[in-house]
Amino acid sequence: MVGRDITIGQYLAAPTLLHRVDPRLKLGMVVIATVLVFLYPGWPLLVFALTLVALLAICRLPLIHVLKALRSVWVIVFVTFLLQLFLTPGVVIWHWGFLSITDSGLSNGIIFSARVVLLVVLLSALTMTTPPLRLADGLESVLRPLSRLRVPIARITTIVSITLMFIPNILDQSSKLVRAQMARGADFESANVLRRVKDVIPVLVPLFVKVFHDADDLAVAMDARAYGGGKGRTRLYPLKIHPTEALLSLAFVAVAIGILFIPLT
Amino acid sequence: MLADVETKDIKVEGLSYTYEGADSPAIADIDLDLEHGKLYALLGRNGSGKSTLARCLNGLLLPGAGRVVSCGMDTSEPGSVLEVPRHVAMVFQNPDTQIVGATVEEEVAFGPENLGLPTGQIRERVDRALELAGITSLATRQPLRLSQGQKQLVAIAGAIAMEPDFLVSDESTSMLDYSARVRVLDLFEQLRDAGMGIIHVTHFLEEATLADEVVVLESGRLVAQGTPQETLGDPQRVRSLGLDPLAVTVVAYELARLGHAVPEDVLTVKELVSWLYA
Amino acid sequence: MALRLRLEGVTYSYPLPGKDEAVAVTAVSLAVEPGDVLCLAGSNGSGKSTLAQVCTGLLAPSSGALYYGDERIEGRSALREFRRKVGLLFQNPEDQLFADTVEKDIAFGPHNHGLRGDALKARIQESAAMVGLPLDELGSRSPFSLSEGQKRRAALAGVLALDPEVLVLDEPFIGLDFEGRQSLASALTSYRAERGASIIIVTHELSHVWSLATTFGLLSEGRLVRFETREELLAGETDLAALGMQLPQWGSLARELLRAGVSLEDPADPRALAGAMARRREATDGR
Repeated sequence: MVGRDITIGQYLAAPTLLHRVDPRLKLGMVVIATVLVFLYPGWPLLVFALTLVALLAICRLPLIHVLKALRSVWVIVFVTFLLQLFLTPGVVIWHWGFLSITDSGLSNGIIFSARVVLLVVLLSALTMTTPPLRLADGLESVLRPLSRLRVPIARITTIVSITLMFIPNILDQSSKLVRAQMARGADFESANVLRRVKDVIPVLVPLFVKVFHDADDLAVAMDARAYGGGKGRTRLYPLKIHPTEALLSLAFVAVAIGILFIPLT
Repeated sequence: MLADVETKDIKVEGLSYTYEGADSPAIADIDLDLEHGKLYALLGRNGSGKSTLARCLNGLLLPGAGRVVSCGMDTSEPGSVLEVPRHVAMVFQNPDTQIVGATVEEEVAFGPENLGLPTGQIRERVDRALELAGITSLATRQPLRLSQGQKQLVAIAGAIAMEPDFLVSDESTSMLDYSARVRVLDLFEQLRDAGMGIIHVTHFLEEATLADEVVVLESGRLVAQGTPQETLGDPQRVRSLGLDPLAVTVVAYELARLGHAVPEDVLTVKELVSWLYA
Repeated sequence: MALRLRLEGVTYSYPLPGKDEAVAVTAVSLAVEPGDVLCLAGSNGSGKSTLAQVCTGLLAPSSGALYYGDERIEGRSALREFRRKVGLLFQNPEDQLFADTVEKDIAFGPHNHGLRGDALKARIQESAAMVGLPLDELGSRSPFSLSEGQKRRAALAGVLALDPEVLVLDEPFIGLDFEGRQSLASALTSYRAERGASIIIVTHELSHVWSLATTFGLLSEGRLVRFETREELLAGETDLAALGMQLPQWGSLARELLRAGVSLEDPADPRALAGAMARRREATDGR
């Protein structure tokens, strides 16, 4: 297998304090935090960001992996920043030719790209500390009321967890295909961007074929162990919320909401 | 249900299966009785139907014609879909694409969890399965980071945790190196000694020599069944079935042509060399 | 005879963040001549796949030297040039088939090397013929619609179409049955005979290459512990089990006989073995 870093969505086995926390609590915190991230104006956003980083550090989450996950989305962050920077109307503070940067542009640029960064951090913290099947368990438990409306939540959550599990598989497979093409003269290091794009396209179809093939193998293996769609499944480690973690989660949510009301301009 | 079937055996009667869109059946008219407590080797060239037959034994594939009665349950009956896997477990060729769990113990627990067993029982089964497979020390490791051989042992432990009467191995050793294969075969022998029936589909004739009974398929039909000596002793016959005859049998054949009578049941180097000194 | 490929003290290492240990190759020196069939054998994790990729220029050595003929290969562009002369066949055909049709897939390599028109067509025909793939029947079909055996042939044809002087195959025999292995072995033998190519086969299963290989390179934990012919391997005392491998029955029979003092001209020929055993038996009977 070709070496790869932990990417977005991949589980990391490390002794963090968040690993054993009930997935439902983690899901809840991430959802609430996500909403708040979009509500925070400038300075509260910074306060929240610092609080979050401090919390993750206290929980012994290896921040280096979060940084690596950020590395894969830096393009999105950068584009967001640029768009806000140059396109927001306001008081012009700098211009060159037809390009102009306004004060609101600058602050919006920073805020919007910070939001993307924080979302990635929250998501990574969740998936890094929660194995896919556990996440599915948590989702299923939270969505259970919907089952009265005949929504097939067990299947949905299984799909979610298996998709997460397949991310490394997809990356492995694409790197194998790229290597095979390189071995036959394809040039992925060419300066010619068009050439590079052209050489990537042939990888997509066989990638899908192989991934579907593997997914099929997995489905068969699950069937062979009496997987019946999640109904009536019990657990080796049943979901149980302990008072301590419940309180701490509430505390986190309270602090996060509190930050929203800090009187900063 | 047949009254004369021992509930711990598998009875295959007139079994045929044709894949969708195929011109001819993958297996046809197979009659086979499989007893628990025995190690079977299922051989045949690629396309002979071994995998198809294996998958009919635990209900993964439903018979096109004929029937399979596994541990007293007809696999074609809708009610048996969740029951048969309890009794007939299966492990597959690719160690990577059969793993679901984030840790080894969660992986092994997957089956019992699906059976809806209480947590305490799941814990017991997991511990027992890990011990049988000799991988208790790997319990909290991530399965995808283990070696291929270790992954297969995890897969087998996952199957053992179902506490089945039969274990079907669909070429589970094909992708393993020699030392891993030895560990797997040792485990199969242990399970057989404990009363489980093992059906091991394999390409390796040397593995087949360890079996109690060898079953050979050719073009979807059952063409040979018997002890390893009976089925693999004649190199011409073995070659005609698309298999690579054991070196020892080829040399024994040549020796017979030179007028030396080598005992018929010689399949291993040890046995042949000891004849030399006899 | 001029050496085709030579490695001197080659080391390759990279830590894999996702794995528990780094896969590495340490201080490997070996030489391959035209027409050689080198078997690089070792258990999983011995570094044989990594070594194979260094031999094809997909990975650049961390230290040590790689020579092709008399030229030392170093630097990105030299490696790229070198890759054109070496063909690599991966274990799984699904990892290397990607075009819309079989014909286009085989054409991928030579097209990248600049072949066009009639020359390209001819190359495709030759390669398909060499592996026994009926182009008129399968040429316009999707590679994914082929049977397992046909996919492997198509993948091999795609590599042979590069007309490589060195052909590296990573575990090509796994999952093949006896006839499949025989037909692959004969395709390789014809290519080697016609082109004078050197062939390197990476495998953990010695029985698959026992009669095919001219030299055996045994790897353990990234080091090349043995580099010898079949006869030397049989005459020696190497404990293959300790390396995670096993001599095929032919080999262990031959070794036992050699140890018993029976002389063998060709350890892979059953008649020779039988003859030698018969003579020995008669000798002991006569005593």
